[in-house]
Amino acid sequence: MILLLIPLFPLFGFLINGWLNKSMPKGLVGWVASLSVLASFGISVYLFIQLLSGANEFQFTVFDWMAAGSFQVDFGFMVDRLTAIMLLVVTGVGFLIHVYSIGYMNDDEDYPRFMAYMNLFVFFMLLLVLGDNFIMMFAGWEGVGLCSYLLIGFWFKNDNYNEAANKAFIMNRIGDLGFLLGLFLIYQTFGSFNFKEVMGMASTYPRYDSTITAITLLLFVGAMGKSAQIPLYTWLPDAMAGPTPVSALIHAATMVTAGVYMVVRSNVLYALAPFSSEFVAVIGLATALFAATIGLKQNDIKKVLAYSTVSQLGYMFVAAGVGAYSTAIFHLVTHAFFKALLFLCSGSVIHAMYGEQDIRNMGGLKKYLPITHLTFLIGTLAISGVPVFAGFFSKDEILAMTYSHSFLMFTLLAFGSVITAVYMFRLYWLTFYGEFRGTKHQLEHLHESPKVMTVPLMVLAVLSAVGGFIGLPEIFHAPHFLYNFLEPVAAGAGHHVSHTFEYVLIFTSIVVLAIIIYSTRNYYVVKGTLPESDAEEKGIARILSRKYFVDELYAMLFRKPLDVISGLGYRFVELGIITKTVDGIQEGINTAANGLRYLQTGRAGSYLFIMVIGFLALMIYAIIL
Amino acid sequence: MNTLITVSLLGIAAMLSEVFRFKKFIQTVFIAAVTGATGLAVLDWGTSYSYFRFMVLFDDYALAFSILFLVLTLIWLLLSQEYFCNENTRADYFALISFSLAGAIILSSFSDLSMFFIGIEILSVSAYVLAGSNRSDIRSAEAALKYFLPGAFSTGFLLFGMALIYGATGSFNLSNISLWIIANHSNLPVMVNAGVVFLITGLLFKIAAMPFHNWAPDVYDGSPTPVTAYMSTIIKAASFAAFYRLFVSCFSIMADWWTPLLVIAAAITMIGGNITAVYQNNLKRMLAYSSIAHSGYLLLAVAAINQLSKPAMLFYLAAYSVASLGMFTLVNRMGNEQQLDKLKGFAHDNPFYAALITLLTLSMAGIPPLAGFFGKYYVFLSSIRSDLIWPVIVAVIASLIGVYYYFRIVYNMYSKPAASAHVVSLSGFDKSAILITALLTLLLGIAPALIADII
Repeated sequence: MILLLIPLFPLFGFLINGWLNKSMPKGLVGWVASLSVLASFGISVYLFIQLLSGANEFQFTVFDWMAAGSFQVDFGFMVDRLTAIMLLVVTGVGFLIHVYSIGYMNDDEDYPRFMAYMNLFVFFMLLLVLGDNFIMMFAGWEGVGLCSYLLIGFWFKNDNYNEAANKAFIMNRIGDLGFLLGLFLIYQTFGSFNFKEVMGMASTYPRYDSTITAITLLLFVGAMGKSAQIPLYTWLPDAMAGPTPVSALIHAATMVTAGVYMVVRSNVLYALAPFSSEFVAVIGLATALFAATIGLKQNDIKKVLAYSTVSQLGYMFVAAGVGAYSTAIFHLVTHAFFKALLFLCSGSVIHAMYGEQDIRNMGGLKKYLPITHLTFLIGTLAISGVPVFAGFFSKDEILAMTYSHSFLMFTLLAFGSVITAVYMFRLYWLTFYGEFRGTKHQLEHLHESPKVMTVPLMVLAVLSAVGGFIGLPEIFHAPHFLYNFLEPVAAGAGHHVSHTFEYVLIFTSIVVLAIIIYSTRNYYVVKGTLPESDAEEKGIARILSRKYFVDELYAMLFRKPLDVISGLGYRFVELGIITKTVDGIQEGINTAANGLRYLQTGRAGSYLFIMVIGFLALMIYAIIL
Repeated sequence: MNTLITVSLLGIAAMLSEVFRFKKFIQTVFIAAVTGATGLAVLDWGTSYSYFRFMVLFDDYALAFSILFLVLTLIWLLLSQEYFCNENTRADYFALISFSLAGAIILSSFSDLSMFFIGIEILSVSAYVLAGSNRSDIRSAEAALKYFLPGAFSTGFLLFGMALIYGATGSFNLSNISLWIIANHSNLPVMVNAGVVFLITGLLFKIAAMPFHNWAPDVYDGSPTPVTAYMSTIIKAASFAAFYRLFVSCFSIMADWWTPLLVIAAAITMIGGNITAVYQNNLKRMLAYSSIAHSGYLLLAVAAINQLSKPAMLFYLAAYSVASLGMFTLVNRMGNEQQLDKLKGFAHDNPFYAALITLLTLSMAGIPPLAGFFGKYYVFLSSIRSDLIWPVIVAVIASLIGVYYYFRIVYNMYSKPAASAHVVSLSGFDKSAILITALLTLLLGIAPALIADII
């Protein structure tokens, strides 16, 4: 029963703020929204403690949702250990971002609408992770897609933003089609959508079973859309059109990780389909590298972080693909901490700079924004994988797991994390060091953000710093908390690496990171090199900053041919055939309606007459015929 | 039974209120009694008692429908506040409504043909008077007459049918009739068949199915709008409850023989009702034809007569009636200007309530995930179970035609108003009626099992 409350709180928050909207006292709006998420967080913590002290899982069926013949779907919730972790991330990080939004969005005229959408998003996200069957998950999946659309296009008066929202929605539809087909195939194969039933039945199937391979591949197509993997990733960088808290909550910490959650949730299926798993890992790897290289040459602070998110999601999929499911969740959690932190910091910078997002116009912000600077630095250290910070442990674990899977993958992935460190420190130095390059007006008004924004930053910074200790590597002889916790749900990685390898890995990464930090500082701060303006870019730099021309490629490959086909279809099929048929039917109905109207004479006598005729007709049909 | 007694006493109390001068409180008494009666019905749930020497049987079917009538009446009360304004007539109106409710409850619980007839008469006679209750409007008087004449005519058919059945079987009791028919199934006298056709004719008239529907548009149009809302929801639901109860208790063994009759009537009702509605420019009249068309779908559930048709019918009636009450709230507020284009600008002034009315309209059109969709879905499911494939195809085509005119309502609400037009504005009661009906429509659409699984 208590499970039902978790999504209900944010739903009520949405209803209250959505309903009263601007007639609500402005001060109250943000607190209603934040506290509703905090209430859910409280329940999540309670459930988490119950699970820690031995409970196995909680289950609550609200009602039968759909029933048709043998087809049945319950509106049921389930909290097992995997869900519990997701709940903590969604509600915990969600709450901090809600609080932050109070400061960030306060001046916006549509502030209540924003908060209402955010609550609605949290509601759907909770539905997604709480559902005990694939249909519930799909309902949440579509719901978060809707909220993402609404929030990307939040400032709907700007047409570019609307286009970004459309793009996100359409790209996701492509993925959803795969997801849906996967669901149909699941039902056809197992006759159920319930996670437990499906997984239970699947475990009797042999490895390499072709149906399961097909199911897992189709499900992964869905994940590609939602979690922005090649080839469906292009919407995520554009999604940065939304307000920054949205980027932090939806496009970094929670929604985009839904694909990872789904793969881990279906880990029984993926374990039976080595081909699909390999496919997941390869796509993840390609995305991780590809997006990281693009990140090197972006000059918009949020775009860098966006490509970084795409790349980090790739890491999670690599982990899931090599069978290290708990590692994928580990990185999901730490990434939620430090990426939310980085986005919120960038929001704080943008806030101080009056909406400026181009790092070429920033610089030297360290002394004006001390808290933002410090927390951003912690986030940067965490994402780059500097030891003891959260990202170090999770990324290290992914690398170790990949190493025992394939040496080539390991090398490429390690190269990817070198690039990650480079673009992150490039961003850091350019933003906070050197001379201030903005306008005079901006300089005069530079200010640190209010407490309501900086406190969430500090909390997230602490989490980014120590969050990695939930999963210490073997060499520390401490129990790997997360791995043990998740073991009943996600099989985790079967292979362990030698201690020597661990030491070498840690040592190498420290040395490489030190070199990167030193050289990027040298290049961007000491020498003061600036990224050239768009027109001067040449060669590879130009290809990178234009994102490998993927958008243009898609436009040429898909959009233009589709435009031509739909133009032809409109002219010949629509106007020529369909319109004429439909108009014909409509005219027919209108004529018939007009005719029938005259039966309604308005005289009671004629009604009785028609009744008698009708009775005689019935009598003749029934008795005589 | 307690429910029936409470409602009957309520009618008597309403009449006495005139004499003993507590007319002022009659509305409070009415609400309390109807709520209490609902509670009594809920308390009786799961029992199945017979009264008056097997005249009535309060099983779950009877209780479910009684609860439906009573709850619908409470919602209906919200939109008909002004109807009860007049001090001189309010006691009479409340009495009439109470008696017709008693008739409706009898129609859902009878287990004897004589009770069936009594129920029909109590219900109809109250309705004749209610139709003519607006004495200052000649159209109301005309409606009463047009209702009464064909109504009396159809009562003749019902009586004739009952006489023939009695003649053949020698009993009025439903289970005796059923046993007799089962015993003589191989060699039924034509008297029984003729009796069934007479009964079908009478009942098709009561539910306003084609070709016995002609009275309905005029009566619905001419009656005061609250009365129209009452007739097209509660009275219609009671008629269907009786239709199904009679046929499932007595004649289910010979279903193969009479199913085609109902299916033909259902098909022409669905197609005819929807097509005629297309041409209406008056919202009230459009809803009248739409109500006829909905009778067609419901008739399919009766024709299917299997385990699925009972919940299908109950759910359909609940979904349709709830949405109708919301729609009629709007019609009521439009007063005498019921043209569709008078709705223009409504959405601009009342964006929230326009959205809710859109929701109700979509439910009536049968768009998922609203209640109306699941109503149609259950009806189609039960029809397909009884191998009525082509009627379902006809029903789907008819619903498509329905979408066309339902969307005209939405279209008009969201159009710009003419320059000097007067835009409809809602009272507080109207708003709550629309809100409640819309919420119920949404709730039943999200969790249809709430109703569909109870009987």
